[in-house]
Amino acid sequence: MERAIIKGRRPWIPGGKAMAFFNGGSRALVEILTRFQSAERPMPVDHTFFEFGSVRYHVQASASDPENVYLLISTPSLSHEASPSTGLPEFTLQEARKMYHKFAEIVEPSKEGYALTLKLNFSGLTRPKDRAKAVRQVSLLQSVVLGSQLKHLLGSLGSSGATKLVYNHRDPFFVSRTPGKIKAIFPMRFRDDTDIAVATSFFQELQDAGNSYAKAPKCSWSAIPPPELRGESVQHLTTNGGFVSFDIFERHVKRKRAAKTAWILLNFQAYVKYHIKCTRNYIQSRMRKRQESLAEVIQNARLRGGDDKKKSQVRKKSKRRLFSLGKAKKLQKGFRAVIDGIKRLRLRIRVKALDRFRRCFVVPKLATKKHNYLRLGA
Amino acid sequence: MANTLRLYLTCIRNTLEAAMCLQNFPCQEVERHNKPEVELKTSPELLLNPVLICRNEAEKCLVETSINSIRISLKVKQADELENILAKKFLRFLSMRAEAFQVLRRKPVQGYDISFLITNYHCEDMHKHKLIDFIVQFMEDIDKEISELKLSVNTRGRLVATEFLKQFI
Repeated sequence: MERAIIKGRRPWIPGGKAMAFFNGGSRALVEILTRFQSAERPMPVDHTFFEFGSVRYHVQASASDPENVYLLISTPSLSHEASPSTGLPEFTLQEARKMYHKFAEIVEPSKEGYALTLKLNFSGLTRPKDRAKAVRQVSLLQSVVLGSQLKHLLGSLGSSGATKLVYNHRDPFFVSRTPGKIKAIFPMRFRDDTDIAVATSFFQELQDAGNSYAKAPKCSWSAIPPPELRGESVQHLTTNGGFVSFDIFERHVKRKRAAKTAWILLNFQAYVKYHIKCTRNYIQSRMRKRQESLAEVIQNARLRGGDDKKKSQVRKKSKRRLFSLGKAKKLQKGFRAVIDGIKRLRLRIRVKALDRFRRCFVVPKLATKKHNYLRLGA
Repeated sequence: MANTLRLYLTCIRNTLEAAMCLQNFPCQEVERHNKPEVELKTSPELLLNPVLICRNEAEKCLVETSINSIRISLKVKQADELENILAKKFLRFLSMRAEAFQVLRRKPVQGYDISFLITNYHCEDMHKHKLIDFIVQFMEDIDKEISELKLSVNTRGRLVATEFLKQFI
């Protein structure tokens, strides 16, 4: 299960490429479908998995009928007030039909426990490029379902009051329509003081940055609930991070932009939390580095421990020298022993009793250095 | 370095140089025990007058000296909520790793953010001037780190906010 997919896996650093937007596609779904298509022999597929905690997918295909893949999705409705029924509203089904008409059809009624069943048949798409594109489109199913719901809600809001939307169970948000614009209000709740401090800094920057981007929706942040939420239950109005509001104008929900805007708004809270998580990691890594540098200073203050490394190296070297000296001595000893042996061999063994015997029998003397010449006079 | 900060640090350095003349002194209360007198405070004759050096209300340093130990407590500036959080987080991080610093106290003295305890054994084991250098550098680094962290958190926030708004365009 994956919470969110971020473009650019490497950790974000200041001055580098900033955090990219949340992608609406399901990577697990892409992987399953791609593997199924690229298999040499048709194989049965039966996978059930969850995403975002509450979105359930079921992918089913049999080996006997490899061309048809059944994709079932169960996703909670954004607003129970707007669509009280358990199934998907008609406009969502229309949106799905429109998007997937080339390679999929909606099976009605859907299997029990699932909001939508799609029967995928990629046999009509001959080029692998088209198939890959189709798979990518299928992976966006959840964003299509939720985006269409929010898009519809934005279009059909009453002139007064706010509608509560639940995308993430813990963090509902509100949408209200005022003349000329739609206001999306996010009550922000955080775990601890550090999160609040980082988020507060982010909201202030968001507010300031909003002024410099004329085309972007105007953002405002306040610690107290905005007047649009008057009458809502205290539980929803109790926050520790304040309220962030976006003023959505008509230009933001025109044609193709509507789905994109809806998706961005749906993921705003997750985006903020991801930013906080990254910032916390960054702070932690910096603190660790600083701690190491400070610990080095105190290590250098030691009388003997300042240059431990150097000393150990010197000790190693001297040990090596000692070792080499020892080796030399051994060699020397060995050499001496050999020389002594040779000398001993060359030495004449003097036995006193034999001297007489030598005089009786003339034993030729061994040639030595001393008598190494002939006397000319003899 | 700001001029006021330099003066503040020089004052602390001079005070520490004067105060750091520690000697081995066994405990007068318990036989065969040797305890830092600045912590126990059992014998007033072994304690010197504490010195409080203040840069401003938010930044101060308390130097408590005794015959065999010296305790240095620091209060780090926290201008706003973010700095307060960052300072708390960082000092807690360091206190949790006090064993790496040897002279760092695990719990700061009440009213201060971080404390050091230097005993005569530390002075015997380390160069006195380097120990003082460490305290001064520690103070400098803490200030620098908190300022840099605050700056980078704000910069990150700005960049991320800009990227978020760019999606609408």
